[in-house]
Amino acid sequence: MALIELEHIVKTYDLGLSKVPALRDIHARIERGEFVAIVGQSGSGKSTLMNIIGCLDVPTAGIYRLSGRDVSTLSDDQLADVRNLEIGFVFQSFQLLPRASALENVELPLVYRGVAKKERRDRAVEALATVGLEDRMKHKPAELSGGQRQRVAIARALVTQPSLLLADEPTGNLDSRTGEEIFHLFLDLHAGGNTIVLVTHEPKLAARCPRAVRLVDGLVIADGPGREVAAANAEALGAEALAQFQAAERAAQAGARP
Amino acid sequence: MTRLRRLLGELRDAIVQAAFSLVSHKLRALLTISGIAIGIMTVILIFMVQSGMSASFARQLSTLGPNTLFVHKWKWGVSGSDWWKYKNRPHVTMLDLRALQQNTTLPVAIAPLVNTLATVSHAGKDVKGVDVRGTTDGYLDATGWQIRRGRFITALDQEIGANACIIGADIEDAFFKGQEPLGQQVRVGPNMRCDIVGIFARKGNAFGQTQDLRVVLPLSSFIRTFGSKRGLVVAVVAPEGKVRETEGEVTAVMRNARHLAPDQEENFSVNRQDKLLEGFEQMMKATNITGILVGIITAIVAGIGIMNILLVSVKERTREIGIRRAVGARRATILWQFLCEAVMVALVGGAVGIALASGAASIIDLISPLPARVDPRVMLGGVIGSAVLGVGFGLWPALTAAMLQPVEALRYE
Repeated sequence: MALIELEHIVKTYDLGLSKVPALRDIHARIERGEFVAIVGQSGSGKSTLMNIIGCLDVPTAGIYRLSGRDVSTLSDDQLADVRNLEIGFVFQSFQLLPRASALENVELPLVYRGVAKKERRDRAVEALATVGLEDRMKHKPAELSGGQRQRVAIARALVTQPSLLLADEPTGNLDSRTGEEIFHLFLDLHAGGNTIVLVTHEPKLAARCPRAVRLVDGLVIADGPGREVAAANAEALGAEALAQFQAAERAAQAGARP
Repeated sequence: MTRLRRLLGELRDAIVQAAFSLVSHKLRALLTISGIAIGIMTVILIFMVQSGMSASFARQLSTLGPNTLFVHKWKWGVSGSDWWKYKNRPHVTMLDLRALQQNTTLPVAIAPLVNTLATVSHAGKDVKGVDVRGTTDGYLDATGWQIRRGRFITALDQEIGANACIIGADIEDAFFKGQEPLGQQVRVGPNMRCDIVGIFARKGNAFGQTQDLRVVLPLSSFIRTFGSKRGLVVAVVAPEGKVRETEGEVTAVMRNARHLAPDQEENFSVNRQDKLLEGFEQMMKATNITGILVGIITAIVAGIGIMNILLVSVKERTREIGIRRAVGARRATILWQFLCEAVMVALVGGAVGIALASGAASIIDLISPLPARVDPRVMLGGVIGSAVLGVGFGLWPALTAAMLQPVEALRYE
């Protein structure tokens, strides 16, 4: 059984006057143990897709099965429980509680799982050790560097031993060297058996993932090994950029000739 | 077990976060808390003063006895518009007293009461503002006062206008520390020398004032010294269970003594203490309503403060709400978290209010005649009241927090 099964997923945002389709007809299966990049430009629907996969949002139509369970039928509370039990989130902007220490941040999901205090602490310490932050546990997020903050966020995602690690542009707010470190951490976690879905707009990152899914305008237009999808993407981007450049040039010429 | 642990973990977290939230916005929290504190204090004080007055009044009344009727020019418990009507009535006089003594059959005791404030002296020492009363031998039965030592006024004292008096415990303390007062003399008013024939048992305070600073004389001696212009109050004690009949008889005798025709209105009143109570209760009802109104208004003002602090807190912590929801917090968790903050603000305010009220009560107790003290039940009420206030006014902001969509909350800048 696949971990994630997406069938005819449609998501439309109702803005009152107009309806904006974000996802039009998404089909995808992700097996346990995969490392998949979802790549696309802003507005391609990749964040919407990631919210749906993460059970933060529900599709307008279609069926989403997580571990074989149809998520679209779940209540709000059940969705919260699914997020707690099955999914570990890593966000671009870290999303840590500013007033809590690194350790308390990592413990938070276990509070909602009803884990006893002692065990909570032990598991949080272990998760922080996994990301190499055992000596920063008492620090508040403001006292940590960007890379360290993202490590805390990863530890928080790992501490529940989720079926799925869901990372949304995890290197987006980091300098390239730190971003590289974090990406390596994901590669290590994948090697350790974790299932990872990574949302990114950087073809370079997608190229290094075993599998990539490319979204354009709410549709999957490529799905395959990361290198190939990224190459096709770069070509398409190149063609697009050329077309845009030519259009701009024509416009400029038209403007220059009154 | 897991559920309980989850609940305890969430509760602990909520309390810590709420405390954090308050501490990190000290001024804002302080303003709200003082709003609640002042409100709670005001309400507690209003009700405290009221219940103090009621208790004191009830104690005072109980000394009069439920079977006692008071024949008086004034009707008790009357206020305002009828004032002139009563003012213009004739005084109750010695003639009325004599008629009552001679022509009634039911009363157990009849005693005239008249009093004035005067200076009492002994051995060159003056005590001002002494309650000097004139009465007859029926006084003890009519009022429940008791003689500790010596004797009371007799019919003979009244008959001959004897210069005899009974002194209160405060007078004894003032003049005769370590001496025998019986047989000694005091000067009452400007020129009357009286032999002390008895000493009253100590009665204590009523309405915060001593009742023991008193001297009682035979009515005839009182009139001789202080003049006859003062009207009397005649206390008539009815036998047990015959208050109504006695009232009827007293009224008839009085009408007769005043030569009133059957169609003429009475120009005297036969008062019972419950009439006084009625008037008092009416007054208390008015202050009660005032208290409740002030309570409601302060509750609303304090509640708006709570609501404001919570709305700001929800706004500020929108991202945090998103984070919590993303890692598994249910809506109820968020709701409880903010309610917890609201209740915490309210309880701190309530506690400060109770403390302030207790402090004010001790000051009032010290400087005013009213006995003042904050009842533990009132304190409990204050605590419960402020918690309810917190929940009541925190509910809506907490609900808006709980109903936030996780995606939107996470995106909030």
